[in-house]
Order: sequence, then C-alpha cells, then structure tokens
Amino acid sequence: MPGFTHLHTVSGFSARYGASHPERLAERALERGMDALALTDRDTLAGTVRFAKACAKAGVRPLFGAELAVAAPEREAERTETSVRRDRRRAPVRGGAFVDESAPRVTFLARDGARGWAGLCRLVSAAHTAEDTPLLSWSDNRADGLTVLLGPDSDVGRALAAGRPDRAARLLAPWREVYGDALRLEAVWHGRTGTGPGSLRLAARTVGFAAEQGIRPVLSNAVRYADPGQGQVADVLDAARRLVPIDATKELDSGEAWLKDAGAMRHAAERIVEAAGFRRDTAHRLLEQTQATAAECLVDPEDDLGMGAVHFPEPHLVGAGRRTAQRALASRAAAGMVLRGYDRRRHYWERMHHELDIIAHHGFASYFLTVAQVVDDVRHMGIRVAARGSGAGSLVNHLLGIAHADPVEHGLLMERFLSKERVVLPDIDIDVESARRLEVYRAIIGRFGTERVATVAMPETYRVRHAIRDVGAALSMDPAEIDRVAKSFPHIRARDARAALEELPELKELAGERERYGKLWELVEGLDALPRGVAMHPCGVLLSDASLLSRTPVVPTSGEGFPMAQFDKDDVEDLGLLKLDVLGVRMQSAMAHAVAEVKRVSGAEVDLDAVPEGDPATYRMIRSAETLGCFQIESPGQRDLVGRLQPSTFHDLVVDISLFRPGPVAADMVRPFIEARHGRAPVRYPHEDLAEPLEGTYGVVVFHEQIIDIVAIMTGCGRGEADRVRRGLSDPESQGRIKVWFAQHATANGYDAETIQRTWEIVEAFGSYGFCKAHAVAFAVPTYQSAWLKAHHPAAFYAGLLTHDPGMYPKRLLLADARRRGVPILPLDVNRSGVAHRVELVSESRRSEGTVWGLRLALSDVHGISEAEAERIAEGQPYASLLDFWERARPSRPLAGRLAQVGALDAFGANRRDLQLHLTELHRGARGGRGDQLPLSGGRRTASAGLPDLTSAEKLSAELGVLSMDASRNLMDDHRSFLRELGVVSAKRLREVQHGETVLVAGAKAATQTPPVRSGRRVIFSTLDDGSGLVDLAFFDDSHDTCAHTVFHSWLLLVRGVVQRRGPRSFSVVGSAAWNLADLLEVRREEGLEGVAARLAGAGGDQGDDPEGGPARRRLAGSDGQPAPTGSAAQDPMERRKIRMSTGYEMHPWADLRPAGEDPAVGRKLWHQSPGSAG
Amino acid sequence: MTILCVRFQLPPMYEAALPQLLGLLEEFTPVIEALPPDGALADLRGAERYFERDAVELASVIRVRALALYGVDCVIGAGPGPMLARMALRDARPGLTRAVPEGEERDFLAGKPVAALPGVGTATARTLCEYGLDTLGRVAAAPPSTLQRLIGAKAGRELHEKAQGVDRGRVVPNGISRSLAADRPFDRDELDAGRHRRALLSAAEELGARLRAVDKVCRTLTLTVRYADRSATTRGRTLKEPTAHSAALTRTAYDMYEALGLQRARVRSIALRAEGLAPAEQAAHQLTFDPVDEKVRRIEEVADRARAKFGPRAVMPGSLAA
Repeated sequence: MPGFTHLHTVSGFSARYGASHPERLAERALERGMDALALTDRDTLAGTVRFAKACAKAGVRPLFGAELAVAAPEREAERTETSVRRDRRRAPVRGGAFVDESAPRVTFLARDGARGWAGLCRLVSAAHTAEDTPLLSWSDNRADGLTVLLGPDSDVGRALAAGRPDRAARLLAPWREVYGDALRLEAVWHGRTGTGPGSLRLAARTVGFAAEQGIRPVLSNAVRYADPGQGQVADVLDAARRLVPIDATKELDSGEAWLKDAGAMRHAAERIVEAAGFRRDTAHRLLEQTQATAAECLVDPEDDLGMGAVHFPEPHLVGAGRRTAQRALASRAAAGMVLRGYDRRRHYWERMHHELDIIAHHGFASYFLTVAQVVDDVRHMGIRVAARGSGAGSLVNHLLGIAHADPVEHGLLMERFLSKERVVLPDIDIDVESARRLEVYRAIIGRFGTERVATVAMPETYRVRHAIRDVGAALSMDPAEIDRVAKSFPHIRARDARAALEELPELKELAGERERYGKLWELVEGLDALPRGVAMHPCGVLLSDASLLSRTPVVPTSGEGFPMAQFDKDDVEDLGLLKLDVLGVRMQSAMAHAVAEVKRVSGAEVDLDAVPEGDPATYRMIRSAETLGCFQIESPGQRDLVGRLQPSTFHDLVVDISLFRPGPVAADMVRPFIEARHGRAPVRYPHEDLAEPLEGTYGVVVFHEQIIDIVAIMTGCGRGEADRVRRGLSDPESQGRIKVWFAQHATANGYDAETIQRTWEIVEAFGSYGFCKAHAVAFAVPTYQSAWLKAHHPAAFYAGLLTHDPGMYPKRLLLADARRRGVPILPLDVNRSGVAHRVELVSESRRSEGTVWGLRLALSDVHGISEAEAERIAEGQPYASLLDFWERARPSRPLAGRLAQVGALDAFGANRRDLQLHLTELHRGARGGRGDQLPLSGGRRTASAGLPDLTSAEKLSAELGVLSMDASRNLMDDHRSFLRELGVVSAKRLREVQHGETVLVAGAKAATQTPPVRSGRRVIFSTLDDGSGLVDLAFFDDSHDTCAHTVFHSWLLLVRGVVQRRGPRSFSVVGSAAWNLADLLEVRREEGLEGVAARLAGAGGDQGDDPEGGPARRRLAGSDGQPAPTGSAAQDPMERRKIRMSTGYEMHPWADLRPAGEDPAVGRKLWHQSPGSAG
Repeated sequence: MTILCVRFQLPPMYEAALPQLLGLLEEFTPVIEALPPDGALADLRGAERYFERDAVELASVIRVRALALYGVDCVIGAGPGPMLARMALRDARPGLTRAVPEGEERDFLAGKPVAALPGVGTATARTLCEYGLDTLGRVAAAPPSTLQRLIGAKAGRELHEKAQGVDRGRVVPNGISRSLAADRPFDRDELDAGRHRRALLSAAEELGARLRAVDKVCRTLTLTVRYADRSATTRGRTLKEPTAHSAALTRTAYDMYEALGLQRARVRSIALRAEGLAPAEQAAHQLTFDPVDEKVRRIEEVADRARAKFGPRAVMPGSLAA
C-alpha cells in the first residue's frame, strides 16, 4: 500500500488555531507509518526548528511550508473613481467588532532546498508588513522554489464552493501566471454536508475542476490536531481567536481534521473521485499526485535551513578593515594588554595567545569583534554596560573592554567559556541600563543594518490562568466567575489544573465545586503550553551576515516596530544564528540615576567603576544585613545568608552570591562553609594537591572552576577536557562512565583509592550544579557598587531605586527602609518634584558629615501621569498660584485632582478638597470656552471653600492610591493601638525575643514565594513590613491547610508563630496561624474586642503549634529556602509526586510557582516582582 | 409625621397587583401617589384626625389589612414630608415602622449617606463624596455657595435645604402610569443577530397583544440589552404615535437594536418595556392612503380573536414558529 503524506498540517504555533505541538505530530506520523510530513503553520514558521528536530528524532522527513492570507490581485478596471466603498458597519456600543478572517488562505510549501526556504521566509516576512493582521499583497506574492496549494479556503476554492467554476477559472489565471507548474488544487473532505469547505461536494468539484483546467490535484486533510477527539479543543481555540463564545447551533469543528493514516486517506480519495464522477480506481492517481508533490519538496534541515552552521557579521563591519578577523582581533587584544598595563607580565601574554588559539580554532574571531563593537558603541552613548556570564572568564574579552573584572586576578578560566573540546556557540551577555535598552537596540540595528539584525521572538504559551479565562469565555461562563476561578490558581502549567485542585490546600474550596464547571478542566488541560501569542524576547538580539532575511522570517514587533525573527532563543541557536543577549538591568539604570543626582546636587563626580575596594563602611552595612535594594543580596534568603556569612571582602561577596543557588543548596555547601569560615570546623582538603583551588572557599566546592581544576589536577587531562567532563556530570548515565574514567586516570597519577573516593564524592555531589565563578564575579561588581552607594549616598541611592524600581520589593518597602536609615522623605510638591526622584538638601552644617540629604518624591510615580505631563510640570516650575499651575502646566483634570489629593498642591493654600473644587471649576471654565476669564482672584493664596479637609487616614489612602506608597508615614502606624491590644511584637523588638518563643507579628505583606527547598516540601515564605522593620515568615506544609489561602489572598496579615534564630542577625518566624488583619480591624471597629475574640476563636488554625515538632522543624526554619533534609516530616500525599532531580535533590511538585494572590486591598500595584534583579 | 411611604413586598414582575393595593390605601386617604412598581406615598393628614390614631398606628393597620386581604407584606416609613418618609422607609423592616418625628429631621439625616437622599443620583453622590461630603450631616455643614459650585445653582440650593431637613415636597395624587415589560433571556452568551431579532420580535408581539388585551396604547418603548459581564445598555424611543400595534412596536424595537451595532457583545437577555400607557380610545392614529396598513391592523384584530379562542400560540409570525 502506498503511503500518504499530509501536505497541509498546522501545529500549535498557529496561535489559537492548531491544537497539537509539532513534536506530537511527528510522533503520530511515525506511529501511523508515514515517512514524511509537512508543517504549514498559519502566518508563521516559528515551529520549524522544533518540528525539524522532532522529525529527525522520529525518522520522518519534514516538509516546510506556511499558510498565508493572500490579497486578491487588484484589477485596474474595478478601481474607478466612482466606485463606492462598501460602508462600514456601525461601531458597536459594546463588545467590540468581529475579528476579520475573511482573507482567503493559501498553503505554500518550500520545494527547492535553500532557494525554496528563502522564498518562503521572504513571503512570510512580506505578509507581516501589512497593517493589523498578516496579509500577503499580490505584488509580493511571487517566489522561486515554492509549491502552492489552492485549497477550500483560497479564492479559487471559495468560488467553487459557491458553485461558480467560471469565476474559479478566472481567479485561477493570475495564480497560473505566477506559479505555473507549481500550482496544485487541494481537495479536503471532512465529512461535512453542503458545498462549503470540508464537504464531499466541494472536494469532488475541486478534483473535477483540476482535471478540466489541467492542474494537478492533491489530497490533504487540513490537519489541525494530531488525534481524533481533539475537535473540542479546536472549537475552544476558534472561539478564543474570534473572541466569541462557542455557539453550539453553528458549525463546529468536524472532528475529522486529525492526522489520518494512509488507509483513511485512501478511503477519502475513493469517495472524492467517485463523487467527482470518475472510476473508483482513479483514486490512486490522486494519491500518487499527492505523493509526487511531497517528493518534490526537498528541503534539508541541515543544508538548507542552515542548522548547525554559523553566520557572523562580515569582518569589515566590525572594524577589521581588509584584514582577516583573526588578525584584527589579535592586534586589538595586544593593544588592550598595553593599555591596561599587563604588557610586562609574561603569563598574561601566554594566556592571551592561548585564548586566541582557541578562538582561531573555532573561527569565532568575528564574534568577539562583533560583541566588542557593540560594547564600544554602547559606551560611546554614555550608557552603563557590563558583561555577565561565563564570558567574563576570557582574558580576550577583558582586553577588548567587554568584561570589567580581570579574569587572571580572580582565577577565572577560559575553558569554562570556550575550549577546543567545546563545539557550541559561546555566549556573551551584556547588561545595559534597562531604561535605555531600546536605544541600544536601535544603535545595534543602525550599526549593522536591518538585513543583519533582528530581535528574537518569545512565544507566550497557555498556562492555567489564561487557559481558564479563554475556555471559560468560550463556554459562556460568567466573567466574574471566570475571574475568580482563574485568580485562585497559582501560576502553574495548564495540564496540572486537575492535579492542583486535588492537592493544593488553598484550592480546597474550589475543588469542592469543580463538578459545576463540567468540561472546563479537561479543555483547560487540552490547551496546555500551546502558543497563544508572540512577544519580543526581552534581551536577545540576532546578529548575522547579510543573508539573514533569506534564512529567517522577520516580522515587525507591535510596539516599537523592531524587526523580530519568528524563532525563539533556542531555535536561533539551532539555526546557527549568532545571538547576543543585551539585558536591560534596572539596577544599572538606578545606579546611573543615583550618580547623576549626586553630580547634580553636589557637583561631585562619582565613578562607580573606580570606587575603592574593601570600603569598611560598605561592608559594615552589608554585614548588618540591611541590604534592601542592593543588587543580588536583598532577598529574605540572601539577607539571612549575608548575616551568617558576614562578608568582608569582594571575594566573600562572590562566594555569597554563588552559595545562594539551588545547586550549592542541594549539595549542602552552605553550612560547612559557614562553619569553616567562622573557625568552628577545620578546613579539610581531600588531598594537599587540591589545596590551591579549594583554599579560597575553606575546602568547600562552590564554583564550576574548582571542579574543572580538581578534575584537571587529579587526572592530568587539560582544563578543556575537564570542563567537558564537568558538563557530563549532570547526566546520570555518563556520570557512571566518568567515575570509572576518573578513577583510572587518578590512580595512574598516583593518588590512593581513598583520596579518589573522597574526591569523587565531592565531584558527584556537586553534579552540574554549583555556580560559574565568572558569573558570580560579574554579579558581585554591581552588588558591591550598589552597596557602596547605599552606604555613602543613601538619598541618591533610594532616588535611583525608586525611579527604576529594580528589586523584588514594592516601592513602599524601599521608602520604609529609607525612613529607617534616616533619609528624610519629602512629599510630592509641584514646585519642587522632578520627573524622577531627586535628592534635595534638607539641612546643611559646616562639616560635610552633618549635611542631610532628603529624598523628594517624583511626579512620574503619580498614577496615570503621562511622560509629557510630568515633563511639562517640571519645566514650568516654579508656579506662583493654583491658576498659574493650571494654565502653564496644563495637567489633565484627573491628574490635577490626584496631585491635590496627595498634597502636591498644598503650597497654594486652602485644604486639599478646596483645591479639588477650584480645579474642577478651572476645568469647567476651560471647557466652556471661557479660558480668559479668571475664576479666582489671581492672588497667590487660594481661598477656602469651607469643605472638610481629608482626614489623616484619607490622606494615607490617597497616597497609597495615587503613589502606591505610604509617603507621609507607615500605614501600620494607624493600627498601633489595636496591635498593642493584641500584644503584637514589632519587628524591631523581635530581635530581642528568645529562640523558640511564640509570638504574634503583623504587617503589610511585601513578597511571597514558594521556592524549591532541599527537603522537597512546599514552604511559603513571606515578608511582612510593620514600619519598624521586616519580619520574614515561613509556613511549612502542616500549616498550609489553614493558612495558605489567607497568606496568598490577604494584604495585611496577623500571624502567630515561633521565633527561629540562627545567628545574631538571622531570625525568622515560623507561622502556625494567619488571619487577615484588615478583616480583624474592621471587626474591632464594628464589634469591639468581643467580636475579634469570636473571630479568633472561630477561624485560624490551631494545628501545627505543637512544641514537639520543634527540633526537626527548627532546623528547617529559615527564610532562605535552603534548610536541611526532612526526617520526621509527616507523610503527605505529595510525597509520591516529588520531583527528583538527578542530584538526589527532591522538589515539591508545586514549589517554585508564582503563588496566587490578589491585588492589594488599597492602592494599585503595591507589590510585584520585577525581573530586574533576578539571578 | 403625617406622610407614609409604603413599599409592598411584591414578587418581581407582579406589578399588576399594585392597583388593588392602592385601593386599600385609598380607604384611609384620597391623597395617594403611586410609586411603581411596588410602592406608594400616602398623606394621612386628614386620616389621623378621622381615625383618631397617629400615623404609626395607622401604618400597622395598613400592614395587617394588606396581609389579611392580599397576603402581601409591606414596609412602611413615616415622616413629616414625602422625602423624609422615603428616607425612613430605608430603615424600616416588616413589622417595624420607622418614623421621623418633627423637629428631629436634622439628627435623623446627619448620619445618612448622601446617596440615600431621593434626588441624589449616583453621579451627584460621586461628586459629593469626592469632596468629602459623604454624609448629609457634612452636606448640611458645608456652605451653600460651595454646594452650588459643586453641583449647580438649583440642585445645590435644594440639596442644602433637604440636608437641613426642609422637605418641601407634597404628595401629588396620580393615576398609576403603568408599564409593561417582556424579557427574553438567553441560556448562554448569544451573539447571533438573527436570534436577537427573533427575541425582539417575540417580545414586541407579546407587548402588543398584552396592550391590546387591556385596551391601552403606549407612547414610549425602551430596549434593555444585558450582557454577560452584568452590564446593560438601555435605549428608549418615543413612538411616532401612541399605539399598541405589534408591527409598529417591532419596527421601533428593531431600529433601536440596529443603532447599537452589536457584533461581538455577549448578550444574555433582551428586554422590551412599553411605557407611558394610556387608554386606547384617547390615542390618535394617522390614517394613510396605503391600504396595506389598514389590512395589517385588521388581520391583527382577527389574530387576536383567534388567540383568545385557541390560545396564545394559535397565530404567530412565521419566524417565531420554527
């Protein structure tokens, strides 16, 4: 029996259309005995790489194509002056307009190798130049090496469906003109009735029409999903795409568009030819034509797509002139040696030549020159730039000015980055100021041209919340209900929806009513991980030679119109496209702002790259663990670790950053390290030969570089080989092989069996985890710089932080921290505030130490202010009166009202409500065309209107609402008396509380996480701010049943817990019961203490409070998420589903999720995590 | 303390019972103002002397009678003026009549939110709250000129007076200006314009038939479209001439619907309401030379008779029969 090849198959990359992943399609093709399969996604080639890889794995030949919307050829005759445009539909009062999907669609398949692929890329790129939805204009609709399938959705197919073969013939002519012999007519039978797409009659008409016109017909199944029974998912996708609910009375998906096997397709072919009036055995001719068409389409993923090859920008673009790139690189590196004063050190020269050899070996010289060129350009623009990642280990990078830290001095290895043994593309990431990231992109595009540069795509895939929203909307569920259900889920994968319902304590309530939602859960899981849209990747930039556009489809991004390749970051690497990660780091912006502020107010020039090393004040501040806002060391866990580790040198910071990683946590390196560091345990080395690499870390393995050195020393293999071995450690299979190899070579080098055994244990425990020292050094530089700023220029530092919001904490917490550190917070004032946060002189004394700098809040933090408005206000300063302000700054009415509410207009007299009234009248006056009339007397002070002023609570709530910060005082201050009644311990006093004491703490929740912890249990970590300081909380799973929901979904919390101490500066509270403090406050107000008592007696858990569970739990306690193994922990249903890492590190299935939670009760976005300072 | 505000606890869409209940009130006083769909104001100034009971006692009598005669419970508020009676009603429960004694108006009002005051709608209330005037006590304390600046000269003056407890309203006897409503809910989000029009047609047919059955015509037609997110759009249109002719009602309903231009709106229900009802014999009808209009009306008459005889589904538009 001849096989069958599906020529028209879409995957999930056709956003909200295809229901199966490319991998699934390839698998099914193999299972159903097909030896080739085409992927023809809608408007995109994004699935190509994944499809090609999956096909290679399955042993199926891939065909590449795309389905594009094509505009009709414009006919001059039809476009006359007098022809009337069809009038538009009236704009709907509600619900929006229909999604227009009227454009006919045609399938293009790449036929002639690279030529076909290039043509395909160009067509897809051209289609995306249209406004709104992708549409290929007729003038762009020509390319070489393509096969074109005109199916039921094409203009020709539609004419046939309408019973107009004459019109079909007319429409066919222009297609024939362009594509000639490469044209096919595609017949599809989905068992539908009538003559529409998918009907037998249309399929038969198509075959008949093809015979009549002398065009070859092919058979396809217009596949949308891999398996039968996925029709319902397709319906949901249709509904989500068209933004309408599923209408059961309309035509739904036929359920036939799955990847049918050859037998089923032959059956279809027979029915179609019979219906077309041919003999049944002509069916094999239809199938043969299909196979022949498939056989013509020969595009090889390796040769034609360029997978595996590398393309760098041409050397002349990166300053090589007419020399080769390698020679240019060598001379630049040598120049760097002289410039940095290394030219008299022999081992620097040796290292440089060694590295240049490796680079020449791979031919990557252009790559280094390209990155250097970009870094130079960025520096010339006055933007802070720093290299991160393993690239910092290369001396050549340092010499070219890419990496800041000297790798020789810090003991960083080139081999970790690039060696002769490694064949993957090296990657150098550069950090730039986040606020100016797009400027950098524009500069790169300007330097290399749009034909060589593109940003990288990032598909947004369905996770549980979005899936629930889309399925719920498709099923006509109540929007409020959908919202409630979606929000109660943490950010997990959609396919885990039902498992989460069963297992997560905070979803218990929802699980009780799950039956009500019927098919919802099944469909939600069906959408799992399907792409639903595409966004620009926040940091990747592609750099290639001029052939980029013929190898990659490039589309403009929606906002800025940057060229964006349709491939994501993994695909790009497979395709051999050079990707440079340009990360926008908010901390860099914050520091730049701080430095600029210092210069503005005092004229002092601060060069952060030249701050003195080992500054005692800075390390004193770090050791006090009050590191809020400092890069990398501000999280609760890091503050705890810093408090225990007590860093005093740059190297300590490097170690600290490296230790706070899942790897070292898993290998339990933290405790021995700290013990050894404080002299409580002796420093041990497996062998004295290993003393040198392990010296700096007291015999504990922390860095990748140390493993490389250990392996290299013990076995005598080179470092390049040692790095390869290190990479092999993560795979259990190769680990066994490495063990034998390691023992053999170490024995040959004369080490005894015991040493080998002990060393191997260390190497094995380390696995592939641990941290690259080059990364850590690159991170530690901004860490030290930010800490230095915090210690020496606190006001400017907070100004930078608040302006660029780099951290994991909400701004109001930074403000509270500033207040605690004695920086005066100056309220918003239209006469003094700038667009950004500023530093202002508060009081000056003769001696410079007595000078107090305050922090003036920024206009840009006012809710709803536009950049232009903020700038206009700042430019017009000072203002003499309210009228003056209104006329010159021209704020919008709501904005002016908000400014009045938070007291920014207080200088103009009258109370804030009176000001509001005046503003309203000014607004009315302006609108009524009486702009010249002066409603006010023109005096400087505004007259009172006798309205009641805002109460102090109202002022605070206005500040939270407008600025999302409690600027005048801490919001917890208002509740002091109630907290005193309850006997709540403040964060400040908590320091004096004994270990093991049960206390009540209260505060505003700042950040909540459920990180993966070593014990494999799920622990909820949260931080409360009560004005006097921060309280770090941990909830273990025995308290989740009663606490989880409250902790996730309340903003103000009252928590009962036990104090855990691990050091003078390190303590946390293990929560056993939690209440929503906002509720309690209301009860207190309305029902008095009795009501509160009733509430406390009723709700809130009393479990988990037993003093017995103490020691085991106490060891677990700690806010850092790195406690010791469990032991006596109660068995729970989750035990079975723990995720086991290769290192024996167990992970709770629901750990490391962004937890559920709702918006704060007051104010807008009070806390959110910014990606800026993530590791 | 002579005005009562009575609210009968009628089941929804049971407005037809109101006239009878008003009849019950009429046994006490002729000065009755109906507040459709389920309430009324009654001025008991004369009644108090006649029955030798005060208003609160009379309220109990009214409640007992309503329960005994019609099985309908009611809530009653009493006060010196209609506004205060209405405000008092908000505090009352079945069995507990809330009365505002004369002289205590200001204290009674002081703690109330501004939105509770009749005549203060959501927009005005929002404006007042924005400026911190969230209770009537604060409004009373604010300078009158400021109030006028806030919400306009006339409204400001009136609000100021009302907040002081000055109630200038009178109970104005009126006939019940009833309205008829027909609601067509969908059992899921309905986007199909065809089905929307069918719902409109059937609602308009029903309204027409009901109007003709009681010999009334309506002057205004109101269309309310409710959406899945619980919001709604309401449009009203005055008919060219008061009528009960189904075809005319349908035409107007269609016009209003088309003007909305709905495309992707998730409609959960469509409701039509006929308002401004008046006796049919007082309605004017523009005659035309077009015989069709005349014929259609005659056919309608016949169809009505057929329906009266064989049930409401005996004759209906073809598009609804499917």
